[in-house]
Amino acid sequence: MVTSAILQAINGVSLAALLFLLASGFTLSFGLMRVVNMAHGAYYLLGGYIGLAVAQKTGSFTLALFAGGAAIAVIGFFIDRFLIRRTGENHLAQVLLTVGVAFVMGDVALHFWGGDNLKVPVPMFLRGAVELPGGIVYPSYRFALILFGVFVALVLWLLYKKTQIGAVVRAGVDDREQVNATGINVDRLFVLVSALASFLAGLAGVAGGAFLTLYPGAEWEILVYALVVVIVGGLGSLEGAMIGALIVGLLDAYGRWLLPEFSYFVLFGPIALLMLFRPRGLFGREH
Amino acid sequence: MPRARLALAIAVLAAALVLPQLGGPFWTGLVTQMLIFGLLALSVDLLLGHAGLFSLTHASFFAVSAYTVAILQVRYGVPTVLAAPAGILAGTLLGLVFGLAVRTRGVYFILITIAFGYVVWGLAQRWSSFTGGDNGVTNVPFPAVAGFAITSHTQYYYLVLAVVILVGLAYRVLVRSPFGLALRGIKGSETRMQSLGYRTGLHLYAAFVLSAALASVAGVLYVYYNRFVNPVASAFPISVEAALMAIVGGSGTLVGPFIGAGVLLGLRNWVSSFIEMHHAIMGAVFIATVLWAPDGLVGLAGRIRARLFRKDHG
Amino acid sequence: MQPRHPLIRSSIAALAALGVAAAAHAQSGPIKIGVLAPVTGPLATPGKDMVEGWKLFWDQAKNTAGGRKVEYVIADTTCNPDQALNQARRLVHQEKVHFLVGPLCGHEGPAVAQVSKETGVPLVMDAAGADTVTKWDRTPTVVRTAVSASQIGHPFGDYLYHELKARNVTFIAQDYTWGHELTLGAARTFTEAGGKVARILWNPIGTKDYGPTIAAIPADTDAVVAVVVGADRVRLFEAWYNFGMDKKKKIYGQYWLLQDVLPQMDDRAIGMFGKTANYAPGIDTPENRAFTTAFAQQYKRLPSWFGESAYTAGLWTKAAIDSIQGNVEDRAAFLKAMRSVTVKAPRGPLKLDAYDNPVQNVYVSKVQKIKHPVLGDVLTNVPVKTYEGVSQFWKWSPEEFLKRGPYKR
Repeated sequence: MVTSAILQAINGVSLAALLFLLASGFTLSFGLMRVVNMAHGAYYLLGGYIGLAVAQKTGSFTLALFAGGAAIAVIGFFIDRFLIRRTGENHLAQVLLTVGVAFVMGDVALHFWGGDNLKVPVPMFLRGAVELPGGIVYPSYRFALILFGVFVALVLWLLYKKTQIGAVVRAGVDDREQVNATGINVDRLFVLVSALASFLAGLAGVAGGAFLTLYPGAEWEILVYALVVVIVGGLGSLEGAMIGALIVGLLDAYGRWLLPEFSYFVLFGPIALLMLFRPRGLFGREH
Repeated sequence: MPRARLALAIAVLAAALVLPQLGGPFWTGLVTQMLIFGLLALSVDLLLGHAGLFSLTHASFFAVSAYTVAILQVRYGVPTVLAAPAGILAGTLLGLVFGLAVRTRGVYFILITIAFGYVVWGLAQRWSSFTGGDNGVTNVPFPAVAGFAITSHTQYYYLVLAVVILVGLAYRVLVRSPFGLALRGIKGSETRMQSLGYRTGLHLYAAFVLSAALASVAGVLYVYYNRFVNPVASAFPISVEAALMAIVGGSGTLVGPFIGAGVLLGLRNWVSSFIEMHHAIMGAVFIATVLWAPDGLVGLAGRIRARLFRKDHG
Repeated sequence: MQPRHPLIRSSIAALAALGVAAAAHAQSGPIKIGVLAPVTGPLATPGKDMVEGWKLFWDQAKNTAGGRKVEYVIADTTCNPDQALNQARRLVHQEKVHFLVGPLCGHEGPAVAQVSKETGVPLVMDAAGADTVTKWDRTPTVVRTAVSASQIGHPFGDYLYHELKARNVTFIAQDYTWGHELTLGAARTFTEAGGKVARILWNPIGTKDYGPTIAAIPADTDAVVAVVVGADRVRLFEAWYNFGMDKKKKIYGQYWLLQDVLPQMDDRAIGMFGKTANYAPGIDTPENRAFTTAFAQQYKRLPSWFGESAYTAGLWTKAAIDSIQGNVEDRAAFLKAMRSVTVKAPRGPLKLDAYDNPVQNVYVSKVQKIKHPVLGDVLTNVPVKTYEGVSQFWKWSPEEFLKRGPYKR
């Protein structure tokens, strides 16, 4: 029983790592630019497919990760500049526009990669399993994913809290007009943060594609999870994305283990309740 | 109502009345569907176009109402005269609960409604002993009240048309009333309304519950049309499409949601028979609407008309 | 005796000619068939298999049956019941089809059956497999040429106990009607033979992560049985190996590694029980060899269950149409013919039982690598045991079975 509980905990944390990659970009985009990008799931999927193609061609997983991320950073840049920018801060319009973008991206992906679910090949040295004390056997890849998630979280946190650029971004999240008034080019900042968010989403697609597989519909499934992470953690908060991801990952794993028929309820019920009493999420701010 | 508009309304009504004779069973069925989903879109638009709240959970009320009617009629033999009101009541009660979401605004509201929608969908899917799981509930009979029974799709079409017209007229009265004005005031600036002494939270809550009731009416009409219901009726895409119908057609208007329903359903049924990437086309329609026709087709028509008039008057 | 008068003779000849022409006109137009399948959407891949299997049959039959030309219209249901309803109506009212074939997705079944009931247009269900359609919720104008879910579940439970000698099993099963009926059918025959079901781990369709499921397998269970569909099949497979379970427990695919997913698999799948169903591409009969070879030549891959199902639907309907000389306008005659013909399909001999579901063979199959004449080395399911002439009621009487009610979770 204890073994199972530990196993489920690791499962939850590895899912959390993936969700953090996706949610962190989403939440920062909102925090700084007040942009709600519902195409984030489609970024994940398309990035995953592109990474898959690269992995198949070159045999390198690392290259695939970068390729997936970079491709989406570029695509995201254009979508931002020519489409999302035109909606200003109209969240309603943003939601609709980006849903439309997601539909288009989904169909394009379907056209090129078809309807079967495809797996991104994992590098050889991560293919086996790790033997933990207590006889628990756990896939190496998912362990690596946890470590990678922690690494990215650390890097982002350091950038955000300890560098000058991070300070400017934080100031921008708090009060955009002020930052503009000090002469800093907020626009360029937006581009940077947005590119980073898109990069992370595409990268997450490759990472996720290696154990959750890629298929039409995946973009909406993962988006829902990412949205919940962001709601719980609070829009605009990096710590919120970390804690939110952990909560969602663990709730998902334990919920499915203990109450499989009510798994959606276990996940969304408490969150809905949380929202009613603390609408900004755990770390969100007044905007 | 200006004379041109009245003439147009009469023409449309006349066409609607002879549709079954001219269009045959397929078109009668399709237009019935457009009326039903148009009503659902209208319910979403009460919040969206008049109160400024974007709800993505209205499929929940739609489905709960449909399931209630289906289960009562099929499993317990309850007659329509009781089952249909029960359906509307069930959906409205859910609206009372979900209405608590109006404690939030903006993006948070949107996200919470998404979460609510998934809870209902999850229950519809998993609680198979009660809802029938993914098979849903089948063999729902046509409605029958006090000896007057619907026996064909053509008859049902006329019933739906009558209900939609009646509800539409009531909706018109509602949105033109002081309550409607207050809602639009809140949409424009909630803080200003508050400073004027309005209890904005209560207004929004009332609007939410009313829109849930409206969505429930659509749900009742839906289940008698399909004569079955399954979890797809409560799924997220239904809520999204309802909102999109309202926007593409023209948010804030009475006919906009119905036009939007016509466009979206028409696209899906007609285009999909010869184009494979119809999701991409729908996506393109949304993008185009947001960027170039944010008032939807009704707004677009208005602008075109204005431009024509301007030409005439030099 | 020939009439003498030339005028009378020619009048009779003219009248006769007119009569023949009139009769011929009523039956000379093409036979129109409406096919409902998910061409796009989540089940587009099996949908494609179905369309291709159907097309292959009619290409071979030169698009004729009962002396008339055959035309078919393929309507996309996108696996959505509202869409299926509209498309079925379109086929009946706009395209004026003589009968409908399909649908694939289980929850579209009631929608299409509804249209059949209302319009009287016969429906040949060649895929959707919910038990209730041919048991508790039957429609007189609907016949099924495919299979009833628990029909292929019952034999597996028997095999599990008597041949695999399992005594304490855990099921990993998909949480929807097809999954319920397959699993609970097998569980029933298994427990009635004396076996014990330790746990059934239900997973909704599209479960992303099989980690938690694997972690929940009881430590003392003999074996694990998999009933998974779609994308989950690959995920379960990978998770099984990633968690080192291949070294710890045996896993048997009751409904797992179907043909459509095998091209993505590697040699680890060889020797595994892939599925127990009414078809396996590795069936070694002349009919099946001819079918798989023709399919492979045309589409460069082996047919799956869906492909064969649609092909056989073509075979069956043609046999019925032939037996009534092409008179599909007489719906009652067509349905009667469907219910009385015996068909020699690639999957074996088929005939409808009194409840409009076929009595057919069930094959317990393992994944093997075979050398196919057209495709070379290819992974496919090869039968290791055949249960012949299995009815949807297994060994119980229909009345007894119906009284018990559907398999519910």
